[in-house]
Amino acid sequence: MKRFLEKFVEGALLISGSVTSITILLIIIFLFKEATGLFNSPVVEEGYVLAMNKSNPVKKLNSYQIKHIFDADITNWDEVGGKEEPIEVVRLSDLTNYYTEEELGADFENIPAKASELTASRPGIILFLPEQYIAKNFDGTLLSKETMQPGDFFGGTEWYPTASPSPQYGLLPLLLGTLWVSLGAILLSLPFGIAVSVYLAEIASMRIRNILKPLVELLAGIPSVVYGFFGLVVIVPFLQETFKLPVGETALAGSIVLGIMALPTIITVAEDAMRTVPRAIKEASLALGATHWQTIYRVIIPYSKSGITSAAVLGIGRAIGETMAVLMVTGNAAVIPHTLLEPVRTIPATIAAELGEAPVGSGHYEALFALGCILFLITLVISISIEFIGRKKY
Amino acid sequence: MLIIDAKNVDFYYSDFHALKNINIEVEKNKVIALIGPSGCGKSTFLRLLNRMNDLIDGTRMTGSILVEGENIYAPNVRVDELRKKVGMVFQKPNPFPKTIFENVAYGLRVNGNTDNTFIEERVIESIKSAALWDEVKDKLNKSAFALSGGQQQRLCIARALAISPKVVLMDEPASALDPISTAKIEELIYELKKDYTIVIVTHNMQQASRVSDKTGYFYLGELVEFDDTTKIFTNPKEYSTQNYITGRFG
Ligand SMILES: Nc1ncnc2c1ncn2[C@@H]1O[C@H](COP(=O)(O)OP(=O)(O)O)[C@@H](O)[C@H]1O
Ligand SMILES: [Mg+2]
Repeated sequence: MKRFLEKFVEGALLISGSVTSITILLIIIFLFKEATGLFNSPVVEEGYVLAMNKSNPVKKLNSYQIKHIFDADITNWDEVGGKEEPIEVVRLSDLTNYYTEEELGADFENIPAKASELTASRPGIILFLPEQYIAKNFDGTLLSKETMQPGDFFGGTEWYPTASPSPQYGLLPLLLGTLWVSLGAILLSLPFGIAVSVYLAEIASMRIRNILKPLVELLAGIPSVVYGFFGLVVIVPFLQETFKLPVGETALAGSIVLGIMALPTIITVAEDAMRTVPRAIKEASLALGATHWQTIYRVIIPYSKSGITSAAVLGIGRAIGETMAVLMVTGNAAVIPHTLLEPVRTIPATIAAELGEAPVGSGHYEALFALGCILFLITLVISISIEFIGRKKY
Repeated sequence: MLIIDAKNVDFYYSDFHALKNINIEVEKNKVIALIGPSGCGKSTFLRLLNRMNDLIDGTRMTGSILVEGENIYAPNVRVDELRKKVGMVFQKPNPFPKTIFENVAYGLRVNGNTDNTFIEERVIESIKSAALWDEVKDKLNKSAFALSGGQQQRLCIARALAISPKVVLMDEPASALDPISTAKIEELIYELKKDYTIVIVTHNMQQASRVSDKTGYFYLGELVEFDDTTKIFTNPKEYSTQNYITGRFG
């Protein structure tokens, strides 16, 4: 009977363990499956096509080129690998510049024929039309089957998912925004965190430590919105004043808020590492005439190096995944940042802000999942490196 | 001149009266052995000599300890300076997680020495004095943890010698070692006597009789008897000492 019970419990544990693992695996698979959909989504806005003259040697355009053609940043076909020939951008509404309303028909029933005719007659044309206006025997090159390429995402320098005719899903501004904010956070919080942990582990009396340690741990329990709110009403105006900025919502504001949020992790982990330094080694140092401070920086800090590194990496991990507080204070401009005093937008903030308005299954929606994958990979690398650092001992 | 002169020393761990009215006089270039059963206060006394007990909260000492004529418990004494004069080797080898070279150089570096040729000379000299040179001369830049326990302990001795202390305190330096390493350390103590004064705690009677000039027998926090080693081992005054050295208890 007892044996049976033990077997039963064993089985139950096995099942719950496998269910958990499988669930996690399914979530990851779901994440990546949705994300790869991005590379099947069309370059051109859904429901629309781009058309060019048949004689035009350019048969392919990526989303970046399309955007800049329509923004009139690219004005000649030779800039995108074609002949020397000015680009003539024509939208549906522009058709009235070429044809009278009668020619187009009262119910626009002639548009398909006229569009075909116009495309065939003008060598430099690029025509942007809803799909339904494309005639069966359309005379021109159609760019309807083009899909987003990995380069558009991984190498893209613009994040502008509602751009028309070609949405921009460039990873770089968001990735750099995330890294800048996190790096700034860690640069601010690491020296301070190590200083506090040295104080707690080595200098503070037992009484003070017993008060401070729980206080630091309490910091970790404050909801991130509260940090964000604090940043918004204190840090943002402060930065704006001090640096005479047009807006105070900057990468630096994000870094400061995240730095404060990462402190409890860094302090706790680093302090624990310092407390594991064997008493014998501290005594050896003191017995050789080293002062307390010399012992701290020549023995205790080097000895707890791996612990301090894990503290830093865990702190970065916390910073990279943080959403709410950053969303509130960084200004959310999806441009590649050049200094810490510019607004930036991070990956988690983008996902949180945009997932609600992206239609399910759209390229935008899938691009957000792709961002999620990137975030997942970053944190995966971080946790693997923690494992690695943790294992490396003298 | 007396190098160590402890007068009426009483010591307390909070409420626990660990040492009771200890008086010991030590002359220069002698080896003093402290023996006695476990928990009798040998280590406690030894750690008073370089103020290592300062690190333990709630301890209190009365009486005085003079090193080279100066009261080391006077208020203006710098503890780090004292510890440069009175070095210590611990019971378990405790090298730093650094290279062999850096272990020995550590004391010089924290002393503010920056002259690398001097440091190198001194490190080599100290390792030679600790009878370790032949075994480590090819791996000075290897981790100290690559050495055997006995080698590590001799490295710790070299480390203590590098800053040229006057007194070397050793707390059961061979208790964690095998017989061969123990023999090497004993030999070494004999050599070191020429240049240093050594106070060694041991609960190995043979060791005490082999290496020391004078022996002190501690029992329950009291120094029962302190005399020439030959006298202690052949003709002790106290009955309790005799019991202990003949192995009737302890
Ligand atoms: N840090 C300490 N706090 C309280 N009591 C201690 C401490 N260290 C040693 N003692 C006590 O003091 C007595 C003497 O200890 P110790 O000097 O280590 O003995 P020995 O070295 O002779 O074995 C023992 O009874 C021990 O329990
Ligand atoms: Mg002891």
